[in-house]
Amino acid sequence: MKLMLSYIRRHIGKFLTALLFLSMETAADLLQPTYMSFIVDNGVKAKDTGKILEYGAIMLAIAAMGALGAVMRNIYATKTSQQIGKEMRLDIYKKIQTLSFENIDRLQPSSIITRITNDVTQIQMFINGTMRIMLKAPVTCLGALILIIWRTPGLIPMIVVILIISGFLIAGNMRLGYPRFHRMQKRLDRLNQVSREFLSAIRVVKAFRAEEEEEEKFRQAAEGLAAAGVSAMRVMAVFGPLINLTVNAGIVALLWISTIQPPAEIGRLMASINYMTQVLFALGMVSHILNSAVRALASSRRVEEVLQEEPAQINHHGELEIRGNIVFDNVSFTYAGSAAPALENISFQAHAGEAIGIIGPTGSGKSTLVNLVPRFYDATSGRILIDGMDIRLIDMNILRKQIAVAPQKALLFTGTIADNLRWGDEEAAMEDIQRAAEIACAAEFIAETEYGYDTLLGQEGVNLSGGQKQRLSIARALLRKPKILILDDCTSALDATTEANVLQGLQREMTDMTVLLISQRISTVMKADRILCLEDGKVQGFGTHEELLAGCSAYQAIYNSQIGQGWKDRTYAGKAGAVYE
Amino acid sequence: MSRVTAPPPVMGGRMRRGMPVEKPKDIKRTLSRLWQMTKGSRKGLGWILLLSGLASGSAVLGPYLIGKTVSLIDERSPAALMLWLLTAAYLGDWLVHFLQQYLMAAAGQRMVYQIRTNLFNYMKTLPLGFFDKRQHGELMSRLTNDVDNISNTISGSLTQLIMYAFTITGVFIVMVLMNLLLTAVSMLSVVLIYLLTKTITRHTRKLFRQQQQILGRLNGHVEESISGLTMVKAFSQEEAMIEEFIENNDRYCEVAVKAQIWSGYLMPITNVINNLNYVLIAIASGIMASKGSLAVGTITSFLLYSRQFSRPFVNIANIYNTFLTAVAGAERIFEILDEEPEPEDVPDPVELTRPRGEIIFQNVTFGYLPGQTVLNNIGLHIPAGTRVAVVGPTGAGKTTLINLLTRFYDVDEGAILLDGHDLRQYRMKDLREAFGVVLQDTSLFGVSIRENISYGRSDIPFEKIKKAAVISGADSFIRRLPQGYDTVLTQGGAELSQGERQLLSIARAVLMDAPIMILDEATSSVDTVTEQHIRKAMLTITEGRTSFIIAHRLSTIRDSDLIVLIKDGRIAEMGSHEQLMRQNGDYALMYKTQMGLV
Repeated sequence: MKLMLSYIRRHIGKFLTALLFLSMETAADLLQPTYMSFIVDNGVKAKDTGKILEYGAIMLAIAAMGALGAVMRNIYATKTSQQIGKEMRLDIYKKIQTLSFENIDRLQPSSIITRITNDVTQIQMFINGTMRIMLKAPVTCLGALILIIWRTPGLIPMIVVILIISGFLIAGNMRLGYPRFHRMQKRLDRLNQVSREFLSAIRVVKAFRAEEEEEEKFRQAAEGLAAAGVSAMRVMAVFGPLINLTVNAGIVALLWISTIQPPAEIGRLMASINYMTQVLFALGMVSHILNSAVRALASSRRVEEVLQEEPAQINHHGELEIRGNIVFDNVSFTYAGSAAPALENISFQAHAGEAIGIIGPTGSGKSTLVNLVPRFYDATSGRILIDGMDIRLIDMNILRKQIAVAPQKALLFTGTIADNLRWGDEEAAMEDIQRAAEIACAAEFIAETEYGYDTLLGQEGVNLSGGQKQRLSIARALLRKPKILILDDCTSALDATTEANVLQGLQREMTDMTVLLISQRISTVMKADRILCLEDGKVQGFGTHEELLAGCSAYQAIYNSQIGQGWKDRTYAGKAGAVYE
Repeated sequence: MSRVTAPPPVMGGRMRRGMPVEKPKDIKRTLSRLWQMTKGSRKGLGWILLLSGLASGSAVLGPYLIGKTVSLIDERSPAALMLWLLTAAYLGDWLVHFLQQYLMAAAGQRMVYQIRTNLFNYMKTLPLGFFDKRQHGELMSRLTNDVDNISNTISGSLTQLIMYAFTITGVFIVMVLMNLLLTAVSMLSVVLIYLLTKTITRHTRKLFRQQQQILGRLNGHVEESISGLTMVKAFSQEEAMIEEFIENNDRYCEVAVKAQIWSGYLMPITNVINNLNYVLIAIASGIMASKGSLAVGTITSFLLYSRQFSRPFVNIANIYNTFLTAVAGAERIFEILDEEPEPEDVPDPVELTRPRGEIIFQNVTFGYLPGQTVLNNIGLHIPAGTRVAVVGPTGAGKTTLINLLTRFYDVDEGAILLDGHDLRQYRMKDLREAFGVVLQDTSLFGVSIRENISYGRSDIPFEKIKKAAVISGADSFIRRLPQGYDTVLTQGGAELSQGERQLLSIARAVLMDAPIMILDEATSSVDTVTEQHIRKAMLTITEGRTSFIIAHRLSTIRDSDLIVLIKDGRIAEMGSHEQLMRQNGDYALMYKTQMGLV
């Protein structure tokens, strides 16, 4: 509720203008029965046609005023509520961009998507409703009641009773409705999650003929949502008609009282009945709108959850020129929700301009280790220093500006090839882009596409092979001209020749960059200045290829698995070469 | 009006000059299809209809009784009977409304459920090309937002619509019986409301459709930027992403404002027409009563009726508008339902139970986009039980070959034969069951490790799952997890390293125990020690089975029976490792490069 108010406050001018026009519209509605009673009491009873026409003209004028109010109210209310919805979406979106992965992991991506669209829409609908009916209903209600009391004061006790009962009913509706709508939104999350998983795993689903399982999963999610929906709607079904009944009881009571003490002027009684029906419709609207009010409350709670999420990392601002000295000082890291540490007491140093190869078995923590450098996550204990400074004290934007990452799974976005490469450097000239593409051995296949650098990519674009995506992702990283370059096994889908070409190009480029190079291939890491060998999140060895080969058993094992046979082949290839030379 | 063969525009009406003419989609057809989709969830609809009729009955009865009572009070006559009747009418009204809404809650949700599952079930039969071309978030928006729009209409408006139809008829009859002239005055407002609705909906339909489209795009952008958040952050692209979001967000807001304002005109203006009507009746009946030709009670009744008569029209106009949002949503849903599904099985398919695995590529040509061939005239004969390795530069078409084999896509020209029959002659289901596939994309699900391995099949004994994990080399890391095989991948596998994800994918394929194995870059992120174990295990598994391996680490594929080198969509070299090394062509060069021999 506080959340909605804070947004409304930003547009208080427009909001109040809308309410002003709304009151105009409502007043017009309210005045009609009173003038009607004048027609009956002063015109009809007195058989005065002139009076009838006079009051009729006034009523027409009032109707015109109401029309003006309604049209203006519509324009203002719509603009304001849409503006608020727009700002709310943007705020959530901006917030997501500042959150760390720890936050995102906790909130669940598919839930965030539901919140930014569906939940905001619910709130927006409610705020719009507030300005058109929500306020009109109570105002009509209040106005009608005042007019009834003014014209027939004897009815006060009865009206008080009706209001108290209605109040209780409305409160009960809210109480029972809120948790049900909250549950409904949660089930919607689940539905989104299932469909998102299905869409991103579509190849596996088809290959394993798991369509029926996915169907069942979706069916359950949809059924869960429907069940929650039924239970929420049924609350409305119970309370809505009850409120109507209460007001109808009021009308009966009003007539009953009138039979006992017949009023002096029948016009007054007619007006009162008319007003009672207006109260009836107003309260009917209230119970109808409660639907969206309760829903909006449940949604606004969920939006607040995102907006109140504290980024798990603190950011210090300040200027800094990085040379690229990296020190891991006794660093340990455990993922949130996991018991075992992913990294344990890691210590090593990379000098500026040095290339460090990182090798180790699957799941040994290689990617985790490099993810700590651009602060995707913060170390659980120990420190990481860049140029002697704890990275937690460096402005995150400045830090990341000096680091470029080419990840294992190349992520490209909807847009052209050039758009995707420009991520590295927005102002990059076309020549720079082409050069980066050449170094990454991507220029050739880009040239082969129909539109070259303007070819559309991403979910809506053409099919790129895994290796082509990786090369684009390397080019993107290079375009950044970083001080620290992280290559996270980003050549795994490249054929050997292309990989060799890419690595050669990189070596030429890498002269003043510190490089962290993860690979499974000994032949790749061998080219680094020094190699860090990891196993189970611990450092097994750190040194040059020769040093490790001599003193690190883990490294030897990897070496033997690859080059060991290579030795055999070397002799074989030698022979083969001899035959053909 | 002159019209050619084109179906008459449902919205009808004259097209004003200078107005852009949006080609009307067929609303009637959309609605009738929607109706078809709800088949099976219409149970109880009869009751709801009956209750709606009763509800409108009580709506007609109320004012009539009130009017009578007022007349009696005016004449100072006893009115107790009328009041009892009124009380009874209201109690009935309450009961009927309660029952109707209570039943409608279930009926409405059931219909939505049905539409939603129908849509999903259809979606899953669509070919891969459909999914490759679309943003996931956009499709998600159709499954949720668009279906929701229909839901709101069905549960909210449909019964009201029915009720109003009854009310209008009932009130009209009573009004005619009471006074013909005043009824004629009331009809004036109906005509006005009709004209107004027609004008307004002409605008809103188009706008609502745009609104849903942009909402889908917005959803797509959000999904994409959350999925790719690592890169967004790594490249500090937050600003650019926000800018793009703002662009979509602004556009959405702009269209939504237009749509809302247009549809928002309806309520107040009809309300005004209503008030106008009220005034006209007040004047007319006032004059008539003053001349003594009308009882005062009749004025009361008539005023109440005139409200009741035009109110349904106001609401129908309004409902019609919400209806249009629903139609916009429904049209987007039917867009998917109109997509061509994966080709149906041929009328009498060839039975396929554990094929031997002889595969022949006959002059296969294929391209994802028209005019851009990826594979060109591929001819290849693979005897049953051959271990085939496919190598070649990236983008040469290796994965495409696999896509064709599993019929993710169908060949453009030529044919692929399995055991002597064209792939298209088998049932799709049988065919895909013949392949055990490990794909480049390692997709895991938010369930336990165990369920991830046995994905696609239930009732697999744990021993088998465990055995598959041991063979694939996944067992050791799984056992190190806090809950072992029961560990739930709450983040859909994001918590595992790429190599571990690959191991699970391999275990999944091993468990499938299919006659033909396909491994597309299955071990690219796995360390070489583990990879060696896998390879050894694979050798035993693939013994006697046809298998395809795509790999860049040539050490992985050395002991294949047949190595096929694909380059630029053609087969460049083919033969055993020894033969190709002797040829000293591209393969030999690649191999030497990788072994660090050049």
